[in-house]
Amino acid sequence: MLKGTIEILVKDENGKIVKYGRHEMHSFLNNFLKFLEAFMRSNGTGSVTITDTGGTGRTVYGTHRDILFHAQMGVLAPDNDDTYGIIVGSGTTPVNLNQYALVSKISHGTGSGQLDYNPITVDDYNVDTSVSPPVYRLRFVRSFANASGATVTINEVGIVVRYRCNNDLRFLVARDVLPTSYTVPAGGSATVAVTVEVELG
Amino acid sequence: MKIKCELIVERDGKPIYRGESKSFLKNFGIVLAGMLKNNGDGSTGKTVSGIIDMSGVSKSAVVEQYVSDTYAKYMRIMGMNAGDNDDSYGILVGSGSDPVSYNDYKLSSKINHGTSPGQLDYEPHVIASSYSDTSSYVELYRTFINKTSSDIIVREVGIAAWTYSEVISGIDAKYLVVRDVLPAPVKVKPLGSLTVRYRVSLSL
Repeated sequence: MLKGTIEILVKDENGKIVKYGRHEMHSFLNNFLKFLEAFMRSNGTGSVTITDTGGTGRTVYGTHRDILFHAQMGVLAPDNDDTYGIIVGSGTTPVNLNQYALVSKISHGTGSGQLDYNPITVDDYNVDTSVSPPVYRLRFVRSFANASGATVTINEVGIVVRYRCNNDLRFLVARDVLPTSYTVPAGGSATVAVTVEVELG
Repeated sequence: MKIKCELIVERDGKPIYRGESKSFLKNFGIVLAGMLKNNGDGSTGKTVSGIIDMSGVSKSAVVEQYVSDTYAKYMRIMGMNAGDNDDSYGILVGSGSDPVSYNDYKLSSKINHGTSPGQLDYEPHVIASSYSDTSSYVELYRTFINKTSSDIIVREVGIAAWTYSEVISGIDAKYLVVRDVLPAPVKVKPLGSLTVRYRVSLSL
């Protein structure tokens, strides 16, 4: 039904490629499934409880009936925003489906151990019939610059979605521990691409 | 690992088919993509175009809305659990057997709700879920009862979703997101029942 891949490209301070890897996404989390459950429950006032990235259980509605803001599952985080979209971390703790945050998120910034988060871009490839079965493909890309003055190591990648129903909330819906570490040199960068595919009939 | 979707069919309470649903449709991809490729700031009304409703008309789905006055307003992106007797969305059944295409926007030949010849009584949906550290699922199911005096043959099943905005003009569409043709026709006898389950699961 739904699958994905993660690609990581690391460059040094001169723009030279020092490492590239492509990995199957293994770990959509319970939070993703709970959003789907919220949609299923969206006749009337059905809701589910989803744990946000701060560890607090939040009520999420498939049908909003409220004032002000309404939005579901947005990923396109802007420049310098490390609260949603593609995020990276240094943790290596194995995945369990109930996780709601990266184990050790690398924060946005230029201080020690930080990376500068750039805005996310998206390519909507629509339907690809060159593969069997055909897929609906969407590819998100975010780059991270290392201006910390020392190496920064990426071991985990997550996808956080933004949900607004007056409250402005963040939910981790996927987390992958990478099979190999990616060390970003001082002055270098890492570009992470997440491709999500819906298998079609 | 990928997220899997199983289709489970029961007749008179006994399982008669269980297999992977491989038939998500382009409409589903468009709306999922529309949600994800949004920044979610909720400051404006945003829609995603290109879905085809069940009457074959190109429509848009809402992915975000902003209510500027003090009155609560509805927004629904992908509603699925239609109520009792409602055959306009949710799990639907039909008698058609045309092969699935990702461009399908309706069942080939939907069986309508009712008690007249050729109809089935659509029950309300039920949702079941289970979440753990290693294995989870959510399941949407619906039972159909034959209250006519003749057999009813079911060959296809699917899920239609409902998008609606009380704020953005023109956003009100029922659109098919899944369609499966059963490997063998299922006969539902008078006073017999058919239960169709879609189970989406994750495991490590």
